[in-house]
Amino acid sequence: MNASKFLVIAAVVSMPAATFAAGADGHGHGMASGEPGKASQASRTINVEMYDNYYEPEMIDVEPGETVRFVVENKGNLVHEFNIGTPGMHDAHQKEMKMMVEHGVIQGGQIHHDMMNMDMGNGHSMKHDDPNSVLLEPGESQEVVWTFSDKGNVEFACNVPGHYQAGMYGEINLK
Amino acid sequence: MKVRLLTGLLSLLMPALVLAGEYNLTVDRVEIDTGDFVKEGIGYNGKSPGPVLRFKEGEDVRINVTNNLDEATSIHWHGLILPFEQDGVPGISFPGIQPGETFTYEFPITQAGTYWFHSHSGFQEPDGAFGAIVIEPEGREPFRYDREYVIQLTDKHPHSGDRIMRNLKMMPDYYNRQQQTVGEFFSDASSNGLMDTIQDRMAWGDMRMMKADVEDVQGFTGMINGKGPAQNWTGLFEPGERVRLRFINSSAMTYFDVRIPGLDMTVVQADGNNIQPVNVDEFRIGVAETYDVIVHPKDERAHTIFAESMGRSGYARATLAPEEGMEAPVPPMRDPARLTMADMAGMPGMDHGDMDHSSMENMDDSNMQDMDHGSMDGMDHSKMGGDDGQPSDPFYAKGSGIMPVAANDGKFLSYADLKAQKPLYEEREPTREIELRLTGNMERYTWSINGVKYEDADPIRLQYGERVRFKFVNETMMTHPMHLHGMWSILDVGAGKWNPIKHTVSVQPGTTVYMETEVDAPGQWAFHCHLSYHAAAGMFRKVIVEGGPDSTQAKTDVAIEEGGDA
Amino acid sequence: MSRIRSLITVSLLGSMVFPTAVAAQEMIADTTSRKQALTSWGVQFEELEYRYSDDDEELGVWSADFFYGTDDLKVRWLTKGEYAIEEQAYEGLENQLVAQVPISDFFDAKAGVRFDTPEGPDRTYAVLGITGLAPQWFEIDANLYVNEEGDTSAGLDAEYELLLTNYWILSAAVDATVAFSEDREIGVGKGLVSTETGLRLSYDLVDRAFSPYIGVVHERKYGDTADIAEAESGSTEDWFAVIGARIAF
Repeated sequence: MNASKFLVIAAVVSMPAATFAAGADGHGHGMASGEPGKASQASRTINVEMYDNYYEPEMIDVEPGETVRFVVENKGNLVHEFNIGTPGMHDAHQKEMKMMVEHGVIQGGQIHHDMMNMDMGNGHSMKHDDPNSVLLEPGESQEVVWTFSDKGNVEFACNVPGHYQAGMYGEINLK
Repeated sequence: MKVRLLTGLLSLLMPALVLAGEYNLTVDRVEIDTGDFVKEGIGYNGKSPGPVLRFKEGEDVRINVTNNLDEATSIHWHGLILPFEQDGVPGISFPGIQPGETFTYEFPITQAGTYWFHSHSGFQEPDGAFGAIVIEPEGREPFRYDREYVIQLTDKHPHSGDRIMRNLKMMPDYYNRQQQTVGEFFSDASSNGLMDTIQDRMAWGDMRMMKADVEDVQGFTGMINGKGPAQNWTGLFEPGERVRLRFINSSAMTYFDVRIPGLDMTVVQADGNNIQPVNVDEFRIGVAETYDVIVHPKDERAHTIFAESMGRSGYARATLAPEEGMEAPVPPMRDPARLTMADMAGMPGMDHGDMDHSSMENMDDSNMQDMDHGSMDGMDHSKMGGDDGQPSDPFYAKGSGIMPVAANDGKFLSYADLKAQKPLYEEREPTREIELRLTGNMERYTWSINGVKYEDADPIRLQYGERVRFKFVNETMMTHPMHLHGMWSILDVGAGKWNPIKHTVSVQPGTTVYMETEVDAPGQWAFHCHLSYHAAAGMFRKVIVEGGPDSTQAKTDVAIEEGGDA
Repeated sequence: MSRIRSLITVSLLGSMVFPTAVAAQEMIADTTSRKQALTSWGVQFEELEYRYSDDDEELGVWSADFFYGTDDLKVRWLTKGEYAIEEQAYEGLENQLVAQVPISDFFDAKAGVRFDTPEGPDRTYAVLGITGLAPQWFEIDANLYVNEEGDTSAGLDAEYELLLTNYWILSAAVDATVAFSEDREIGVGKGLVSTETGLRLSYDLVDRAFSPYIGVVHERKYGDTADIAEAESGSTEDWFAVIGARIAF
């Protein structure tokens, strides 16, 4: 890995951490989507299946302040993400994901975890471990527990390049 | 493959459950008005382009085609996988449809996506005989949209196809109005230096090649869905809707660079097959290719669909608007493209490793040697992309003068971006490789494969069940969209099992492109350059698939000695 | 070239699995025009012009070419004439009928006959020549002639087009004739016989089908040929202003 590639990846890696911080401390754009919840507080479990390139279901109703446990399973042949955020957050995250693809971290149906786990020397790793999202290879399943705020304009989306634009997102309706 | 076989079986066992659709097409003399000129042409059901045929995957279609012309005709279903007798190529699939005759095509629809149909007789297709095919998939699409439009491009020329062919044979530069002039000499001299410019002109003059040979046939009006730029075809949308645009390039000769200023495009299909979505600012659509893109206009404003020809000699234009009558600015065309020595790299004699001495006989070898090196110094450094951060596309010669660059310096789609959404075939080693050198002589306007024109060529024989790797080596200075009928072209973009499947593969000058084909369709098929006048001049082959699907007996009993005949 | 047609037989089982390949099909041979050599034809008047000389002579002049054939073999009829308008007589009339075959990427060989109806007795020649495009875009046409008297001569035509723009074209043409033996009856001396040099500025008005031009033409006779002309009180050097059109269809 040459120096420039290293730097780009380091930059990519440091960005999700920033997103996390924004989501957690209640400032910035993260506020609109809510915050990570505890599984014990979850009022219910919603199974979300990810296909190429769409979700089932594509629409979810939640109460403001409700904590939901999402069990996300990738049933497609490609890598997909389940990410809760505002369109603006998704837009920002897509730029990061685009770099990850360009640097070979995500290829078709594979995530190169070895590259993700690499310590970048600045306290960040390539881990895609924001609490508002999971990035899954085909066949994988993971949970996201999220407490929704009372602000609208939140959606779940896959920010693997092109997927969101192709229509891989779902609406979250606040009751 | 297995799924298809099963579908085939099921459709046989449960005929009652099979969808069946009957369609009627008439082939007619029509009037075509481009806004710039009105001419007589050929169309379907009274107009050109013909109707959009909408099929459903799994459906058995019956299409009655009535020939109202005073000459034979045919319809080829471009990109559809079907029995070879239904493929519609006179002399290869069937005898053709005689004047007054009604021919009924019958075949199952085993795929989904955007395709097109056109006459495969004479120059009827450049004269207007084409239409679009839209096939709805059995399951859901891997993308979402609220409305869709077919965007069918063509390069309508005031001359008839026969006339164009004859003029090209008489004067190969008949239609080229972008040739280098005295004025360009002086402007080049002032920017590149006099000596370098002289050296450059001498180098090209020595080869008797023109840098301006990007488009053989200029003087056309670019059209979208039968409307010229001034007639401005308009597709309506409501802000916030996702719109699927099914681009089809039905041109005789013209590649288009397509963009919609102000809108990002997400390419979701290439040649009817789903690909992993790619966000682009602009894409080049080769002759006979299709691309489906999704756009998401959010504002209450119009957007121009701008399709400039690759050589910048003409353009097509349409509008997406919230209301009829709204327009957006039409951008000016960029400067004409110029070939570079890099595009000539495939010519015999230019690449010394791969030199064809027989065709060099009458050239002055000592000059060639000088020129090769002398000319590379001091010219076109501005266009040498790649290393210095300039855009680079592995499907163009390094330093090519026709490598596309997005108008907004954004993302321009490359073949390298095309990855199958769901691979149709298992990846496996090809059983053999067949080299096809794309050859020609611009000054004689002859086009051929491996130096042999169709009239003199033996058929290419493939065995049912094999996987053939085709190696295209473009030894000409022009781009050739190679179209294999009946079987998918698995384009090698270096993505292994994710390599996309296409029906038309563009091979740029000075490049080598590989594609593989699972030979899974018995019969005989056409395989040719889809530029109408290149195909007619001889860049065409018949492919015979020997053997059949069933090993016990169904082996195609090729009691043949087709030799020089086919 | 045998044309035994191929048969394809498909088993019952096979036809069940692949219902679409049901009928036993005859694989047809391609007898369409696509499989035949492409024939083409064309007509070009390289010159069709009115000439006005510095001696107030008026001429109608043409140089035209009709071809029909394939890439491998063309028949070409070349016709050139100079008609003196006041005298109402041909100063020269030359027709060639040649067969033309490619011999290299850029050159064709041609062979045929030439009929001349000059001042003096008619002449018939056998013609052998090459025509094509030389490096640096010079169009070359070189011919060797032998007439029924056994006199031999050669002609070389070269033309270069300079694109002022893509529609305004300045073309320079030089025709030179050399005789290897004297043919006094038609006023030809041994050696360099004559040259005709023309400079024409044309504009492509209708495609490349109709391109009007103006220009100057210089004709000169040399050596023995010039002496013969002088002896017959003809001119040995003429300048012409020309106006005409290039035509192609």
